[in-house]
Amino acid sequence: MMERHSDDLTLLLHAALDGELDAAGTVDVEGRLAADPALAAEYDRLVALRDAIRTRLPRERAPDALRARVIAMGRTPAEVKLTTPRRSRRFVERYGSLAASLMLGVALGAGAYALVARPSADDDVQRAIVAGFIRGRLSGQTVDIATSDRHTVKPWFSGKIADATTVVDLKTDGFPLVGGRVDVVGRMPVGTLIYQRREHQIALTEMLTSSAEGSNVPRRETRDGYSILEWTEGGRLYAAVSDLPPAELDAFGAAFRRAAAAEREDTPKP
Amino acid sequence: MTTDAARRRFNEMVLPHLDDAYGLARWLTGNRTDAEDVVQDACMRALTSLETAVVERPRAWVLTIVRNTTFSWLATNRPKAVMLTGDPQLLDAVAATRDSAPDPEEALIAAADEAALESAIQALPHIFREVIVMRDINGMSYREIAAAIGAPQGTVMSRLARARAQLVEKLGSRA
Repeated sequence: MMERHSDDLTLLLHAALDGELDAAGTVDVEGRLAADPALAAEYDRLVALRDAIRTRLPRERAPDALRARVIAMGRTPAEVKLTTPRRSRRFVERYGSLAASLMLGVALGAGAYALVARPSADDDVQRAIVAGFIRGRLSGQTVDIATSDRHTVKPWFSGKIADATTVVDLKTDGFPLVGGRVDVVGRMPVGTLIYQRREHQIALTEMLTSSAEGSNVPRRETRDGYSILEWTEGGRLYAAVSDLPPAELDAFGAAFRRAAAAEREDTPKP
Repeated sequence: MTTDAARRRFNEMVLPHLDDAYGLARWLTGNRTDAEDVVQDACMRALTSLETAVVERPRAWVLTIVRNTTFSWLATNRPKAVMLTGDPQLLDAVAATRDSAPDPEEALIAAADEAALESAIQALPHIFREVIVMRDINGMSYREIAAAIGAPQGTVMSRLARARAQLVEKLGSRA
């Protein structure tokens, strides 16, 4: 068990379990696991533990009463005056969820104001992409074509959108491909890929960009509680949106760009 | 007096992470009522510091405030429950893990129900419990956890390894 391995190997095993290793590290661990049954058994126990925690101890939602109180903190004094400033806990408990939904409306209104107040060239694009993501999640219909095979998605796209779309397999990075769909941004049909991470999904949209201001350094923003990661590459804009924690979306972006770069190198230049 | 700018930043940076904040406080305090008080207090602190604070990773930042608030709350209200010992002593305790056949252990762990998992995690020292909650329940990366607990990634990794060793030990040896 633990004490039989060096501390370094133990840490390596946990990093592998947590998907924190790069490709070289992963290959290294896979080799050691294949060669050492005791190590493999230890790894299996860790997997069993992680899966048990993930499936049986879900993230908890903050109670509505607490949410209502915290939302109230973010309101302006003018908004606060609309309601009685002090309520008994009992009152909040009884009407908390109603208050929460009302106040959420106020908060969203404030959020929308913040967005209007800070105009950005690709604002409409972002809005369309996030709306597509939310719509997909609500309807449960996130893909038009469901497949984990990138060689199926690519030709499917080519019949529907004008230019070729980058489709990469990120299964080994922990983001299996689920499928693809066509979104509409402005009046242009654009290709969107859907990747999975645990119970979360990531929608990656690719489109031509005319704007010169795009940066190939990824930029992350938050909109309505969703994270958006954007970067440009060869005159094309990539935007990934997800309800994943931002750090994991960053990891997704890095994995996608790495895989896309590798694919470009493999493809002979025309 | 809170400015509009601070409130707007609060709505953008703190509200989206309220569930994670509450979850962490719930795990660290061990009960829901205390967690609500702690989170409310933490949110007030967050709002105040948003007047000036530069925040790069909102979730890690929010959770830092929540954990610090929790620890001071625990120190005041349940001084005996807080274990903030350094790692070395704890490492010794973990190293006493016994050897046994792997398969039944794995099966036992896989079969652990919610109550068994809950009590095993609650039995962990706070500094181990928080990394397990952040990683396996909140799905945070090592980097994000390191930012949240204000420690190097190496510390995050070794605490995670030790926390999991204790859980494996406890859950894998249930009668």
